[in-house]
Amino acid sequence: MVFNSLQFAWFFILVYALYRVLPHRAQNWLLLVASYYFYAAWDYRFVTLLAASTLVDYTCGRVLGAMQDERRRRLVMWLSIGFNLALLGFFKYFNFFADSFQALFAAIGWQVDDVTVRILLPIGISFYTFVTMSYVIDVYRREIEPERHLVDFAVFVAYFPHLVAGPILRATALLPQIARPRRISAEQIREGLWLMAWGFFQKIFVADNLAPVASHVFAPDTHATGVNVLLGTYAFAFQIYGDFAGYSNIARGTSKLMGIELIENFRFPYLVTTPQAFWRHWHISLSTWLRDYLYKPLGGSRGTAWQTRRNLLVTMLLGGLWHGAAWTFVLWGLFQGLLLILYRPFEPAFAALAGRRGPAAAVQRLAAWFVMFHLTCYGWLIFRAPSFATLREMTGSLFVNFAPATMDVTGLLVPLLLYTTPLVVVHLVEARADDVLVVPRLRMAVRYSVYVATLYLILLFGNFGGSDFIYFQF
Amino acid sequence: MRVRRALLIFAIAAAQFALFEIALRLWGHSEAAPSFQALFMPDPVIGYRLRPGARTRFVTDEFEASIAINAQGVRDDVAIGPKPPNERRIVILGDSLVLSVQVDLQQTFGRLLEARLNSGGGAIRYRVINAGVQGYGPVEELLFYRQYARAFEPDLVIATLFVGNDAEEAVASAPKLLGAARPLADALSNSMMTRLRRLVRRSMVLQLVRLRIVAVTDRLSNWIAPPEPPLQSYAEQPAARIAEGLRIARECVAAIAADAAAGGARTMVMLMPARFQLDDTDYGHLKRAVEGAGGKLVRDAATERFDRALAELPLPRFDALPPLRAALPGPDVFFQKTVHLTPRGHDVVARALEEFIRRQGL
Repeated sequence: MVFNSLQFAWFFILVYALYRVLPHRAQNWLLLVASYYFYAAWDYRFVTLLAASTLVDYTCGRVLGAMQDERRRRLVMWLSIGFNLALLGFFKYFNFFADSFQALFAAIGWQVDDVTVRILLPIGISFYTFVTMSYVIDVYRREIEPERHLVDFAVFVAYFPHLVAGPILRATALLPQIARPRRISAEQIREGLWLMAWGFFQKIFVADNLAPVASHVFAPDTHATGVNVLLGTYAFAFQIYGDFAGYSNIARGTSKLMGIELIENFRFPYLVTTPQAFWRHWHISLSTWLRDYLYKPLGGSRGTAWQTRRNLLVTMLLGGLWHGAAWTFVLWGLFQGLLLILYRPFEPAFAALAGRRGPAAAVQRLAAWFVMFHLTCYGWLIFRAPSFATLREMTGSLFVNFAPATMDVTGLLVPLLLYTTPLVVVHLVEARADDVLVVPRLRMAVRYSVYVATLYLILLFGNFGGSDFIYFQF
Repeated sequence: MRVRRALLIFAIAAAQFALFEIALRLWGHSEAAPSFQALFMPDPVIGYRLRPGARTRFVTDEFEASIAINAQGVRDDVAIGPKPPNERRIVILGDSLVLSVQVDLQQTFGRLLEARLNSGGGAIRYRVINAGVQGYGPVEELLFYRQYARAFEPDLVIATLFVGNDAEEAVASAPKLLGAARPLADALSNSMMTRLRRLVRRSMVLQLVRLRIVAVTDRLSNWIAPPEPPLQSYAEQPAARIAEGLRIARECVAAIAADAAAGGARTMVMLMPARFQLDDTDYGHLKRAVEGAGGKLVRDAATERFDRALAELPLPRFDALPPLRAALPGPDVFFQKTVHLTPRGHDVVARALEEFIRRQGL
């Protein structure tokens, strides 16, 4: 059941109507049943995995809370992490590693049996295993108390707005909201409805309309010239952003309507000037998770410069692999890690530039943004390329066969401008106010103009035959 | 305060409606555009037909074409007068694949066929009349022939059948053979629904909204009762209505042939394939979609079914699939965003059709 489906519309209307009339404990039961139904709508067989992950980590949390011996506590934490990584490894990466080893052996002339079994990827597994892992680690670190109510804990893991594509929530943020009675304010309803509308706009108007534009360029054997590769890559950059930020906004909006606040997952990531800032603005819940549970435990930036570089590289490589079981994702992670390392010595200069005034500083900021945006786009080219051969060919086209005269104006440029301009305009307004929820706070006439235009654009130009959200596959 | 707010929202919605309407009229060329919709008019017998004297320019990001409808309501720059003694007339009945709004009239296979037949000189001049209308099936072709095309005094009638959906369309349109179009049109002529339809047809914004509503209601009905796999004409196990549609199509073609023969004309049948029968990528997508809905797609099943159904009629049959397939690989014979022939596709069909007509002595 995807957010942009009639099935979800009916589901949410029914759940919300009940939610508004039930008392607090019954609301939590309702959320639990609704969330499991939401998950089962994809494939009921995987509900057992979700339930197993919930039970194991609930139990580990309770045991950790009751235990004093540090050696034993550490063992319990590692048992929980091992269980979650085993789930993730088996269901998400088994085929990938089996295929890779088979290819490696074949390359050295050693034929091995086809050990790959067809393993279906349970939707959202990368998200909920990270949620439960962070909970157990936080309990181990004594940063939170273990949750006593199994129902509340199960809602925390399975809460349907964030279940299949995030944001990756922390127990510290969500569990207290589940545990206490919720009051839904008029402001929450206004903001929630706007976030949902804007999320649908990002998904249906931006992402789903740009998907065929990008696919046209990224299809194998397209042999696009450099200028068309560039336009296709821009299209994918906005497609993936519209898709993922759209999902996050619908999730946040849905949750706000129920009086539960989810964290902001995107904050104008394409307006930044450094890779470090990019990761503070793009998929914020994943980057902070990687920072707190991988980068910092590895040593973070506390060691030597080389150790810091190593930690960055390892974190981003694993971050890349988290996105999917393919070597292009690993390469994308490596690319992001290298960008962070290369920019690191210049971060103070960029920070100083951000504070400077005057036309010279503005030009420098613009240049820095231009470079960063194109580096980000090249990252998306790596991410989207169907194979290394295509990546090599497309990169070659960018540098040796740019051929500006071959620009596909009607097939690439016009749709790109048409479907990104409204998004960019709203982002510039939000960025100027440094507030992603500035629209519901604008003057009444302006606010309603934006609301009505958003609805018109969705209704008249939205792609209603669109696909699932890209991040479901991760 | 609430009234003021409601008025403000209404004013904003109306102003933006006007802005979107203007923008769509200026740049949003599509079949939903009022200028394109103005090509059609209601017809009490057939349901609708091309509006005599209508003209438009149809522009999309894939093609650009001028469309003129003559005084008799067929695609032509000039009216069709009485037949001169040295003229042989060929009337091509069919749907959008014959009308071909994607290309200029001179690029349609009808006009190319006319040029080829006249290229040898000689005392006899050929005139090929494009009597295709968007959305027509075998039933409408028969009714159009009886109502209008018979008057063109044809020597040869080509009944074109699109194998992709004409069996289904024959079933849906069969009530028109009993005269059902007339009372319905009469009943609706002055009703609110008709006025609403006219309003919607005149507004590009409302046309798009209508399409959205149709899509939502379709999805809703699909959700309530899961739909059968699409492309039933190509299904390994087609629904019973496909056999019924083939029977109706055969009877309509037989009726056209009988009427044509009464006027001294011969009749032949032309089978047009669907794009996916030639395009492997398209075929892959549709095959997966059909399999996803629990069916099995057989690529040329519809062509074979029409061929078998029409074999009982003593009429020459021309199948456009083999020559189009023989033209591949090469430049596209179908457009990418529509299921219609490109200028090259028209050229391929015209060449093969000319050869067929000469070989058959038609």
